[in-house]
Amino acid sequence: MAGPYCGKLLAALGAEVIKVESPPFGDPSRLTGPFLPNGDHPEKSALFLHNNTGKKSVLLDWSTNQGFKSLKRLIADADVLIEDWDLSTRRTKGVDANTFVSFNSQLIEVSITPFGLSGPYSKWKSSPIVQMAMGAIMNIIGIPDREPLMIPGYQPDYLAGTNACNSVAIALWERDHSGQGNFLEITMLETLANLHQAPLDMEGGIRHRNGHRQSALSTRGFAPGVCTLEANDGYVTFGGGSQGIWEQLCLMMGRTDLYEGKDFTDLTEDKELSDKVDWLLVKWMEGKSRADIHREASSDWQLPVAPVLTISETIEDIQFIYQGSFQELDHPVAGRSVYPSPPSSINEKRLPLSRAPLLGEHNSEYL
Amino acid sequence: MTTNGALSKFRILDLTRVWAGPLGTRALGDLGADVIKISDPRIPLDSSARVNNKLNRNKRNIGLRLDTEEGRNIFLDLVSLSDAVIENFRPRVMRNLDLTYETLQSVNPTILMCSMPGFGIKGPYSEYPAFGSTAEAVAGIVSMIGYDSDRPLQTGLSYADPISGLNVVWSVVSYARRRARKGIGCHIEMPLSESPLGVVGEYVTASSQGVSMPQINGNKSQYFCPHGAYQAFGKDKWIALSVTSDDEWVSLKSVILEKELQNAEYDDFTMRKSSEKRIDAIIADWTQSRNPDDIVELLQKVGVPAGKVANNLELLTNQHLQKRDYFVELEEEKWGLQKYDGQSIDGNQKPKNMWHSMRKVGEDNYLILRELLGFTHSQYELLSSNGIVGTE
Repeated sequence: MAGPYCGKLLAALGAEVIKVESPPFGDPSRLTGPFLPNGDHPEKSALFLHNNTGKKSVLLDWSTNQGFKSLKRLIADADVLIEDWDLSTRRTKGVDANTFVSFNSQLIEVSITPFGLSGPYSKWKSSPIVQMAMGAIMNIIGIPDREPLMIPGYQPDYLAGTNACNSVAIALWERDHSGQGNFLEITMLETLANLHQAPLDMEGGIRHRNGHRQSALSTRGFAPGVCTLEANDGYVTFGGGSQGIWEQLCLMMGRTDLYEGKDFTDLTEDKELSDKVDWLLVKWMEGKSRADIHREASSDWQLPVAPVLTISETIEDIQFIYQGSFQELDHPVAGRSVYPSPPSSINEKRLPLSRAPLLGEHNSEYL
Repeated sequence: MTTNGALSKFRILDLTRVWAGPLGTRALGDLGADVIKISDPRIPLDSSARVNNKLNRNKRNIGLRLDTEEGRNIFLDLVSLSDAVIENFRPRVMRNLDLTYETLQSVNPTILMCSMPGFGIKGPYSEYPAFGSTAEAVAGIVSMIGYDSDRPLQTGLSYADPISGLNVVWSVVSYARRRARKGIGCHIEMPLSESPLGVVGEYVTASSQGVSMPQINGNKSQYFCPHGAYQAFGKDKWIALSVTSDDEWVSLKSVILEKELQNAEYDDFTMRKSSEKRIDAIIADWTQSRNPDDIVELLQKVGVPAGKVANNLELLTNQHLQKRDYFVELEEEKWGLQKYDGQSIDGNQKPKNMWHSMRKVGEDNYLILRELLGFTHSQYELLSSNGIVGTE
């Protein structure tokens, strides 16, 4: 998913992205869910449809001599090659960092793999849960006595794909000035290791999972009122972690006595206080909907508080609708569905998406 | 190739604070951009948890009071000499300072401005405060995490922040290329709360056609079995493994020789999935008496995706990342030599011997005012004594 997401972002920016798929089924994600209703059809995987918007598809068996020649012809004309071949694939196919540069010196090739093409784990197998484990992310999600949790889906792939897009954008910028291509290596593990807010040494301490509360960024445990709690119609997340927000929260609950004469940083290991604040917040939320809570806490009290929305609720959210955060696209087989817009708008305009290609839809155009 | 990094001729004024913005501008600095961080001289950056230190390497710093007329004019002078301005204030802050995109354009018609508001520059929630932790909730991420369909749990990562930080890089650099070719700038808007939508896009698309979301179910996967975290020997030691094909299952049972796993029925995914609890119990029974590193070694040797659930300290000493020269050590005046994560964006990075630790607030005031803006020494002295510029 990493390579496809990178290509999707570049397509949204206006690039002509040609997806080279291998017979018989094409990209493996075509056979992976979630599928749309009456799915299990290579054109109805939501995973594929989302990650391949705006691309052309050619079906090409490049394990044959003829096919490899066609692939090389496509690469000879390309600015960028995105690939996710592991070491054994590279060996079997006989490709290395020089294979394509040898006939296209301006080529920017980006290799995306879980661990990279060198180093002790370069031959290791991976999957999203393995990456999130090794990247020290699972260790902070979940309840202390229970197993660490992953974030569902293909998070390491999406993040590495985003980073591959970063790498390509920078290499293109440089090539505009130098005329030189480059071979770039993006790895999931290195990408994940960049995602921790605090320095990894944490003053020698370990960041633990903390249930419904957010662990602090220092060894000081957790802060009262930084948590996810149940309201009448779902859950609400309270952000925080500073003296100012803590005082404001106490003010909102009508309990200024909780902070008076005390320094916030001294409260971060006071579990009793945290339990009490949870209870006070639940009481404060009584009789209010998540939308009321969001408005009241944010607008009247200037607090970072927000509802926990389900995925289908995000599609209906008034701010996301206002922002054009989603776009509806039609597809000849999959029908009409909603897709997240690329995450930036330019002069208040969204980057327009167009649908993912059918398998081999553009063979006659390119082969 | 330029020797100072791919972006060495690119100047960025960095008004971002906390996390998402500084992560993005750190990446741009690591790739060679001249990042000038603008700080309020009354608020120090350096503190014991060193969170700012981590996120603000390879940036210069000017301590400048934007809320004074002279300070604001100095900022606009800098805008006229820069390529991009990046900020993550609430929308009203830049409006109140009269530093909107239109104002920046009036001194530099091709300036790129990147705004990272919580919810949007306009719209019903535009002035609501947002953190990475509340943004991930609104974007649907929290609703997907938890045990056995009980209460949802947050990531603890403030996940919207790092995603947003990564997205800044390609957004700014792509439009910098367009600017260089066509001579036009633009205003890029990237709300924090929107950034996680792309990483759950398959669920968005499926939900839009009425497909119901998988129930919150720990680490269980609809498509792979077994799949999860299993307790290893030692306090809070865990390994994660996933069997993503029937072949990998055959490999797994060649390592975990427990008789019941050898049952040929389990060679089929559907059969395994229907006995998942039983299989998990057998695996957990096998892992709990073994050292996590040994388990991972054994499983990886036969081609089963497995890894140790690392904590932050273990990640910092990960031998693979060490061998790949990923980490970086920076000398800090107050804390000595400190080890940090490196830069995962490959390319022509600024040479490591030129990387520098976070500059204190105002550390580069003199150089920036004198050399870049051409102020005289006495003008500089006056600005300092008036508190328009200042140091931590």
